[in-house]
Amino acid sequence: MKKKFLALAMMGIMAVTMMTGCGAVQTDSQVAASASDSTAEAVEAAAGKDFYTEDIKIAFLPNVIGDSCAAAWADGMKAYLDTFSNVTFDVYDGEASVDTEVQIMDELINQSYDAIILQATDAAGLAASVDKAEAAGIPVITCNLDADTTHTALVAGVDTEAGEAMANSIGESLGGEGKVVIISATPGATKGENIDAGFKAVLSEKYPNIEILDEQSGEWLTENANTVMNDFLTKYPEIDAVMCHNDAMAEGAAEAVKAAGRLEQVQIWGCDGESKMLDYIEEGLCTGTIYTNCQSQGASCAQMAVFAIESGITAKNLTSTPVVKMAPVIVTKDNLSDITEDMRW
Amino acid sequence: MRQENMRRIISVASLFLMMMVFGLTSSSFFSMNNMMSILRECSINGIIAIGVAFVIITAGIDLSTGAIVGFTSMMCANLLYYYQLPATLIFVIAIAIGTFCGVLNGYVVTRLRVPAFIATLSTQYLFRSLVFAFAIREGGVITNKKITDPGVLIMGGSIDGIYLVTIAFVVLAIVGQIILKKTKLGTYIYATGSNQKSAELSGINAGKVKWIVFIITGFLCGIAAIFEIGRIGSVTTDLGTGLEFEVIAAVVIGGCAFSGGRGDIFGTFIGAIFMAVLQNGILKYNLPTAAQLVIKGIVIVVMIIFDSVYNNIMQKRILQKARELDEAAQAEEVA
Repeated sequence: MKKKFLALAMMGIMAVTMMTGCGAVQTDSQVAASASDSTAEAVEAAAGKDFYTEDIKIAFLPNVIGDSCAAAWADGMKAYLDTFSNVTFDVYDGEASVDTEVQIMDELINQSYDAIILQATDAAGLAASVDKAEAAGIPVITCNLDADTTHTALVAGVDTEAGEAMANSIGESLGGEGKVVIISATPGATKGENIDAGFKAVLSEKYPNIEILDEQSGEWLTENANTVMNDFLTKYPEIDAVMCHNDAMAEGAAEAVKAAGRLEQVQIWGCDGESKMLDYIEEGLCTGTIYTNCQSQGASCAQMAVFAIESGITAKNLTSTPVVKMAPVIVTKDNLSDITEDMRW
Repeated sequence: MRQENMRRIISVASLFLMMMVFGLTSSSFFSMNNMMSILRECSINGIIAIGVAFVIITAGIDLSTGAIVGFTSMMCANLLYYYQLPATLIFVIAIAIGTFCGVLNGYVVTRLRVPAFIATLSTQYLFRSLVFAFAIREGGVITNKKITDPGVLIMGGSIDGIYLVTIAFVVLAIVGQIILKKTKLGTYIYATGSNQKSAELSGINAGKVKWIVFIITGFLCGIAAIFEIGRIGSVTTDLGTGLEFEVIAAVVIGGCAFSGGRGDIFGTFIGAIFMAVLQNGILKYNLPTAAQLVIKGIVIVVMIIFDSVYNNIMQKRILQKARELDEAAQAEEVA
């Protein structure tokens, strides 16, 4: 009976591989390539759509919708796009999964959106989807997280630079000597890995006497970071600074340090610049953060989309992805007032 | 038998009803591209659902399927990146790894006698940790590499718009249905799920049957992983997370009961399509995410409540008939 099953299963596999072998099979990228060949004439003169009079649909697909960054981006986009009554703006949830994002990208292409703003959960994983959209004449603007293929634009926040900035600030204030712990993102998350890379590169280059005692994942979450920090505090009698890959984790770490009564000795750094973190800095619970104006980043994405729709420029007209970078702002208690109420998110 | 057909007609009808609702309210729903997308979306979950249906029919459960897909995919990415193995060898290895994971699940459940829920929950953690262990690293940092091997990528491809994964799903579903309905193993699976003790008393090695269904699930996870990496072209550490629940939902919507002994692959096939249509249709309304999840949850619950109510009624009807026959026989005896 097992043989029977095996035979049946093998038949199935053979049927599939035979069809694969016959050469008629096309991957999405090949389908996209042949589609863009047939529209080759359009390349010569990229013809856009009138953004200000025609019906326009723009979609935003962030990694995960429940995140304060994503909410601020969406706010920024909406605030800008809402001023045009002919524009529909929709937000979809990537559920922090490549698979979901790939599915939704297909969906957006089927619904023929005029532009897609995408925060690519995985650069390599979303590449084929982005190619497919661009080939269908839909400009894709990536927000913060790049896709590993040429597309209309990338509006990048800071990650590597944020790591470098934190390393410089910590290195300077400790006088180049001390002990640091890291509470990191979920393993494999691009943003976390980039912050880490930037941070460690500067430390090993400029401050070789600063020792990284330990590094544990807080999985982006306040509660987990709190647990991790408690563990660090009991394990290491001397900690001079904590570097967290986002603000939510820095807040969790701060509560742990406060409970242990060691706020005076430990610097706590986060990254993002959400309003709760700014409050923590004001109260002296945290030391600093790398602030990005997410609303303005969202608005930039929307404006790039308008530019692409109006001009008809897609990946066909480009050889590499143009990058618009947001400014990294190091915020500590000293310059906290520079971040005015309307800039907070 | 007639009752089974009736149940099938109802589930197909409810699927069509839902499709009509989406089709009438959205202009892009019935487009060719969208139909093919739906079939593509349901196929990976559907392939795994075939195995999970087997497991659930034996009154078991498998929570590790998502992690098996993740682990298998990561191993493929790892071997492709470090050793540049040819695609066919990668496929063989993927299926072998998936199958091995299934063997391990079966071993823990049948030999170590751990309840399937806990056993597969633990192996889920185990397989997920192996994903991290085998993740591709550069300078100690996990990086996701783009897979460039055309032989692997072709598995995400299509023939005249029909995706390979859909073809595989249909073929495997037919094979699964034949195994379940026409082979001795199928009969044993139903017997084990309906009443393990009486199955054992009638000479069926229930442990072995349970082990086999886990192996089949692992095997199918291996196949699903091949299509998954073919489609996405890279492997992240969270690939397959949460997949197990979508699969279980499809199986249960398809009419398999957690108590075992009931359901088939035809139902599971419809269940998988049902889930994909629901997901696809909801996206067309541009609702806020919270509302989308609520609708999804409600539809699934309603389907499952319907299934259990329908089965209760049918069960009662069967008992009623049996009683009537019994009474008639007794009356005859008296006469």
